[in-house]
Amino acid sequence: MDHMDLGPATPRGPVTIRMVWIVGSLLFVLGSWLIGQGLWIHVKAAAAQWLLQQAWDETLKTQQPAKPWPWADTWPVGRLIVPRLGINQIILADASGRSLAFGPGKVGNGKFSDAKNESLIVSGHRDTHFSFLRDVQPGEIINLQTVQGDWLRYVVEETAMLDSQTDQLLRYQEKANLLLITCFPFDALLPGGPLRYVVTARPVAPIGIHQTEATARTGGGSRGRGMIGSGSWEFR
Amino acid sequence: MHVRSPRLFFSMFFLISSWIGGLALPFVAAQSTEDSIQESVLKKPEGGIFLKTSSGKTQVPAPLLNTTVTMTISGFIARTTVSQQFTNPSSEWAEGIYVFPLPEQAAVDHLRMRIGERIIEGQIQERAEAKKTYATAKAKGQRVSLLEQERPNIFTASVANIAPNDPITVDIEYQEMVRQDQGRFMLRFPMVVGPRYIPGQPHSIQESPTLQTGHGWAPNTEQVPDASRITPPVQHPRHGLINPMTLHIDLAPGMLLQGIESPTHPITVTKQEDNTYHITLQDSLTYADRDFELIWTPLSSDTPQATVFSEKQDGETYLFLQLMPPVTSSPSQETIPREVVFVIDTSGSMAGSSLTQAKAALTLALSRLTPNDSFNLIQFNSVTQGLYSTSQPASTSRIQEAQRYINGLQANGGTEMRPALVQALAQTPNQKEQHRLRQIIFITDGLIGNEDALFTILERDIGQNRLFTVGIGSAPNGHFMRKAAQFGRGTFTYIGTTQEVQDKMNLLFLKLEHPALTDITIQASHSRMEDMLPNPLPDLYAGEPLTLAFRSSTLPPSITIRGKQSGTIWETTQSLVDAKSRRGIAVHWARQTIAKLLDQQTQNKDKTMLRQSILDLALKHHLVSRYTSLVAVDITPLRPDAQSLRTHALKTNLPHGMQYEAIFGWPQTATPATIYLVLGTLMLWITWIWARQHLAGR
Repeated sequence: MDHMDLGPATPRGPVTIRMVWIVGSLLFVLGSWLIGQGLWIHVKAAAAQWLLQQAWDETLKTQQPAKPWPWADTWPVGRLIVPRLGINQIILADASGRSLAFGPGKVGNGKFSDAKNESLIVSGHRDTHFSFLRDVQPGEIINLQTVQGDWLRYVVEETAMLDSQTDQLLRYQEKANLLLITCFPFDALLPGGPLRYVVTARPVAPIGIHQTEATARTGGGSRGRGMIGSGSWEFR
Repeated sequence: MHVRSPRLFFSMFFLISSWIGGLALPFVAAQSTEDSIQESVLKKPEGGIFLKTSSGKTQVPAPLLNTTVTMTISGFIARTTVSQQFTNPSSEWAEGIYVFPLPEQAAVDHLRMRIGERIIEGQIQERAEAKKTYATAKAKGQRVSLLEQERPNIFTASVANIAPNDPITVDIEYQEMVRQDQGRFMLRFPMVVGPRYIPGQPHSIQESPTLQTGHGWAPNTEQVPDASRITPPVQHPRHGLINPMTLHIDLAPGMLLQGIESPTHPITVTKQEDNTYHITLQDSLTYADRDFELIWTPLSSDTPQATVFSEKQDGETYLFLQLMPPVTSSPSQETIPREVVFVIDTSGSMAGSSLTQAKAALTLALSRLTPNDSFNLIQFNSVTQGLYSTSQPASTSRIQEAQRYINGLQANGGTEMRPALVQALAQTPNQKEQHRLRQIIFITDGLIGNEDALFTILERDIGQNRLFTVGIGSAPNGHFMRKAAQFGRGTFTYIGTTQEVQDKMNLLFLKLEHPALTDITIQASHSRMEDMLPNPLPDLYAGEPLTLAFRSSTLPPSITIRGKQSGTIWETTQSLVDAKSRRGIAVHWARQTIAKLLDQQTQNKDKTMLRQSILDLALKHHLVSRYTSLVAVDITPLRPDAQSLRTHALKTNLPHGMQYEAIFGWPQTATPATIYLVLGTLMLWITWIWARQHLAGR
């Protein structure tokens, strides 16, 4: 660290010092910007969930898709609760990269209102919303609230690691299970890897019954028919 | 003065470049995981759910493929040579494995390996034996190629010991009969195997390699035991198209034409002397990403009413007969009430243009229903869902309801076809009593791996139902379309583009709404008709010709054909005396016979005996089949022992119009947050150390 060790006959000109300052501050700014980018992803993920909770309450009340902010191109379709881990997240209607930044997203066209017959697949980012999946154990209880306010209960059957390059996700949609998907390994530095971590949970409680869960309010039980996006929703 | 400047500059340079490098890292890494698909596919263990990938550190470019297709169509017979040139751009020796489609009725009877000027003719061998021949030659370092059949329309070409920059060309030759329908002649040439949906649980134990071990992306399952052989790796469309194709067709229609067209590709038609045509693709660069279809229409005055060809081989006479039943002016079937069940595939492979075409076709079909008819609508992907539990009268309000349902359809999920088929075939006892004409319109791309299981259900449960397949999209499964229609005693049609919907559906309506020619029987004068195909004879729908093939030691001078059409008997006698001699009739008969024997296997007849019959026939007629392969060995050893051989499963394109994510289905579920944070922190830390070093004591 002591520059004197590096050689005595090395006086630096003012230019050199200025360059150190310029380059140093430039790099400092850029480094801070990178950190800011990294933090922003987490801030966005958390803040969006807060706004989404409002939109979800709205959805339960009106039985209509409610946009969390005016320019949003997605909307909440369900609420995911893992009591043991204190997880309470709003699920979005699609799993595009843009939507996943704000919350876990539903994959495919399974309808939460018809979970009795259809498999539900929800994916989330391994480093934000779905980082909790690593702590999920077989036997874990997962509760899911539908737009109608119904609570569905699932029990985790298994957790598995799959390779997205050699396996079709479609194969797992046969049963009326709930699949939670995120990237694997959880601590990988870089995004874009081929591995996925899949939590499979099977339904346990009678589906479609209004339960009073301490964790959430049930919505108005209005029945009818609604259109969300291009797919129709059968509201019971 | 500035003695330390170079050092300062050097350290600055290092800092900046490492930072830029760091920024680029995520992108580079993302790119390389994409490229290593092939590696991991090859090294993939056939484990169950818990799969591991290899990291694929070394990147050796796979052999490049260039295909030239030369077709010679003479009347009803088309002979095609598919030349696949494998070029190895790497510095290592390569083995290329390419899974590709051919028309489902192709009689593949020649394989030639071309190295420079030399040509090595392929030999027909029993499949396991051919595989052994190939493996031995491959190990010895000899150039060798092998052609295997996975499905009647899926083949695998394996080429071993491709030297760096020394191409090997494999010529595959086949024959097929041209389809004649409603006065038009049609030929399809598939170019890519669409990604198949593989139902069932993966084999969980580590298998030792068998005949069913392949290099595809899907693991073998209990329902599709050879899944890994029919699922070639698919290149993500964002990396561009691969596998260029050239096509040359010489068409001698044998009649005066009204027009030649291709609904799939822009073509250039050059008319030549003596009423023949040369056809090429207009685009100089065409890639193997969709079926090619050629349609030619004769002048109505010049359409042949009957065509008879014969060929003598080994003391036996083979015969081919195509005959147009007379057009009856009988009343259209609109007066007879029908029950129509529409089944629509809404799986992931239908996402995009395919679903648009399917919806348009359904809408048209709905509009043809009359209040006397009844209908139902069933959609299937991972689950099957019927619009109604039983068929409903086609009232205006019901039709409107169905239309709304159709408009809201979305394509996503798997292709579990079996429950949909079972539901469509199911009838209440009440319905059975009504003896209504019950038609099932099955709209799908047929991209599934368990065809035989579905055929078995159809064969068993079709009863009085009639099933019509409508093949949708740019690369439908032709084998499924044809066979499902055959077992369903209906007929098949294709819709490849949105522009075609109206035209093709109109042709289908003609068949649905006009009485078919049924209970067809053939009687030969003097001799008995053995080995006649097809057997049993199918019903003929409006505009379809009767096509027969048979073998006989003594050729009868004439045959009499009888059939029923809406209650009236139709009968005609066809002379066979003036049959023109043509090459290819024997092969056609053999290929059709193999198809018939395979059908019988679906019906669970004596499989071992059928296998032996197929084997004998295929070996005798030099045909590639489920049990026979062609193999060509260049006996000169080429690859030095010290050099290793690397195996590559060649990638294929995603069929045009399909959506990669809708088929493979895995969303991206990681953010670059971690890498940003790590890089940013690292940078601040290095900057701090570096600046301190230079500023300390100032």
